Amino acid sequence: MKLLKVGSKIEKRVVIGLAEPDDFKMLTKKRFSFVWKTVKKVATVYKLQIEGEKDILGVMGLVDWQEEKRIEIKLLASSVENIGKNKIYKNIAGCLIAFACRLAVIRYGIEACVSLVPKTELIEHYMQKYYMQYAGRQLYLDGNNLIKLMEEYL
Amino acid sequence: MKNKGISSKYTDKELAEALIFPVKLTAAQKKEAARQLAIARKTTQRTLSEKDRLILGLSQLKFKMEDYIRNKEFDPNFTFSYFLKQYVELLRVKRKEFASEIGIDETLLSQFINQHRMLPEYMAIRLEIHSSNSIPAAYWFKIVEKQKEHQLSTNTAIRKKERKHVRRRLAIGDDQQ
Repeated sequence: MKLLKVGSKIEKRVVIGLAEPDDFKMLTKKRFSFVWKTVKKVATVYKLQIEGEKDILGVMGLVDWQEEKRIEIKLLASSVENIGKNKIYKNIAGCLIAFACRLAVIRYGIEACVSLVPKTELIEHYMQKYYMQYAGRQLYLDGNNLIKLMEEYL
Repeated sequence: MKNKGISSKYTDKELAEALIFPVKLTAAQKKEAARQLAIARKTTQRTLSEKDRLILGLSQLKFKMEDYIRNKEFDPNFTFSYFLKQYVELLRVKRKEFASEIGIDETLLSQFINQHRMLPEYMAIRLEIHSSNSIPAAYWFKIVEKQKEHQLSTNTAIRKKERKHVRRRLAIGDDQQ
């Protein structure tokens, strides 16, 4: 998995792993949009870092619905300097979503599914950018679309 | 939980590219959402092509191998035989047919699967080619190496046997037996 430095051809390999207790001091609302200390009570929190670096650039909360063979992305945030037209790195969210897909494939094979409950105004954009399929209140990835997302970002 | 300020600073496209917001649903909405998703998934599963089934099956095996290789611990359940058996099973062909596809005898394939023989290098290469590079030869090789390393470090019988050939030992170790 790689991030692309905007305006250059520089690619940086990333690692994604479980957020550790000390990491939550760095996961401030100011830089990561949400209160992540609260999130860890309801979801498993993963962090994205550039290989060999300590700084966290992305964070995601996942819930594994084992009976449904589905992993739900409860929330996800790129660090504030990586949002919008002035962002430094591209693909942070894509890499995190692909990681969730990889996890779902390891656990559930051909039935793997990743879902999220979107804000209404963002539905179209998630569908275009991340191959999400529409299922009423939820968006999801499985089958061919899940493969496409993994091929693009893993 | 939501940072209200952020929504006003960026376009919807920019927000969707970088964030997934938490959305609260009532109990009734959750139930309806689950029902809608179950229906949608049933349709995509029903129309899943054989190619996509195979890609997902291969990806599952590949990711398991990657994670096991990355993990420093040895797990006696995750031998090359285990992964080879998984590979053959997801192809949904008879062992005889698969053996023929990779140019070996069925008996030899059984010896690999039942761990009566270690997987040689040429087999790792043939498996890489057979999987259309989905599973690199290096993965098979690293799993075999992990197994060999464990056997070497835990084999007391071979140590006992070889000890008599060593006439002198450096006087720095604790083990002076």
